[in-house]
Amino acid sequence: MLINNEFNEEKIQSPQQYIWSIFKSKNIAVVSMWAVVALILIAIFCQYIMPYPPALQHPDMLLLPPYWVDGSNPAHLLGTDDLGRDTFSRLLKGIQLTLTGALLITVAISLLGLIIGSTAALLKGVKASIVHHLLDALLTIPTLLTALILIVLFGMSFENSLLAVSLSLLPQFIRGIYNCIETELNKQYVVALRLDGSTNLRLLRYGILPNIIEPIVTLLNRIFTMAVLEITTLGFLGFGANLEEIELGALIAKNLDLIYISPYLVLFPGLAIFMIIIIFNIFAEGIRHAVIEGED
Amino acid sequence: MQTLLNINNLCKTYRRSNGIFSSTLQYAYRDVNFSLDKGKTVSIIGESGSGKSTLVQTIAGLRTQSSGDIYLQGQSLRNISVQDRCKSIRMLFHAPSESLNPKATIGRILTAPLKLNSNMTAIQQQQQIKNTLSLVGLLPDYLSFYPNMLSSVQQHQVALARAMILDPDIIIADEILAGLDISLRFKLINLLLKIQEQKGVSFIVVAHNMSLVRHISDHIIVMNDGEIVENDITENVYNSPKSSKTKHLLQSHKPDYRK
Repeated sequence: MLINNEFNEEKIQSPQQYIWSIFKSKNIAVVSMWAVVALILIAIFCQYIMPYPPALQHPDMLLLPPYWVDGSNPAHLLGTDDLGRDTFSRLLKGIQLTLTGALLITVAISLLGLIIGSTAALLKGVKASIVHHLLDALLTIPTLLTALILIVLFGMSFENSLLAVSLSLLPQFIRGIYNCIETELNKQYVVALRLDGSTNLRLLRYGILPNIIEPIVTLLNRIFTMAVLEITTLGFLGFGANLEEIELGALIAKNLDLIYISPYLVLFPGLAIFMIIIIFNIFAEGIRHAVIEGED
Repeated sequence: MQTLLNINNLCKTYRRSNGIFSSTLQYAYRDVNFSLDKGKTVSIIGESGSGKSTLVQTIAGLRTQSSGDIYLQGQSLRNISVQDRCKSIRMLFHAPSESLNPKATIGRILTAPLKLNSNMTAIQQQQQIKNTLSLVGLLPDYLSFYPNMLSSVQQHQVALARAMILDPDIIIADEILAGLDISLRFKLINLLLKIQEQKGVSFIVVAHNMSLVRHISDHIIVMNDGEIVENDITENVYNSPKSSKTKHLLQSHKPDYRK
């Protein structure tokens, strides 16, 4: 017998388990994973972590620096702005709005893009070529421009900016998925599954999707990064969140006048955007490398 | 006795454009006629580009012919459902490492054709899988393995099990011997012969190497530029080749171990 009880601890790992075991062995990837979890927890439990309501004004404490600079007040960890609002609370609120927005966009795009992309790839003939060439045309327009045009059409609000960003990023995801599935369809195991009499859905579920995890992770990572950047850009330009909604890009734009008096007000939101992007990128890269290593 | 497979004037053309407005019709193969009896082996031999792979892919159902008909037990394949076609004609690909899904266990790979093409219960499926595995000489333990954990000849055995699991009438082997060394080739060939003896299946073998094929085939078809140049009983082809192409192939494929 090949599997005997003496070596029972050496179980045969499924590809997912194997990828997970490789992922666990990479320190940076695991740290970034916990950082991602922490960011998501911050976004969920923002209300309970914030020391003050983000709109609460402290008229006696204006433009305080962060706690490690002289003249600060420990009650406001990262200082206050020109109306005496707590920077830390506003920063958390901003992270919540930007991060949930970007994650929502990524989830929506991945679901919609998978459905459209795979139907386009599995279809043949006129329908497929319509999708193909339409997407090609859409891809020539820069995404930010598309988002700007859409938001002018929809009207300015945070929800509309999310909608505009997701619509502007959708074509490239569909295109990416389409290309992945197209190359996968020419592989012999997919042809063999076809000869077994598989339906397209079964082909997709068992034959194609398990084998395109790596490109999907890369695509999703790119979509997420671009979503964060576009949401904040739209916020910065004043097309996205309105005054009551605090969003990282809008936060930078509002405090830009104060940059010589209190540079921290611009620095912290900028750092937050940078950290969100870099953490998610390292996390995605860790998954990608684990998947690649797991394949050979 | 009715012939199992009968191929009648099969042609495959495709357009090749040369320039913007003009295009010429090219033949992948044309006017192919042959028949195959139950339990017999026919080998298709030819240089690369002679249309033999396209021909067997058409028989397997991967491509469609431009004209002509394939008859399976007297019925045209056009009138047979995909399921029945799957059940009676199965194909082996030349590289099993590519034709077995790397993300599925052997068990799942073998269950898929049963699930899709038969009405067996789960217990019957298990029994059928076990029988087929023992037919190709693998232990049932391999069911929980992934394809990349097996050696290349074991992968061939799994691919053969997948082909045999529906008890087909015809198995098409597309250059399955190409990637193996001599001893493993013989192992695989002996396995094929054993299965043929037990189950009475017919083989269509596509090959480059003429001397290996001599051992297993009853009939040999030599193709050149999409046309059949020689179609005869094996010994006739080897002893008195009629066309110059066959002579050329026979000369160029003197195996190393006979020198």
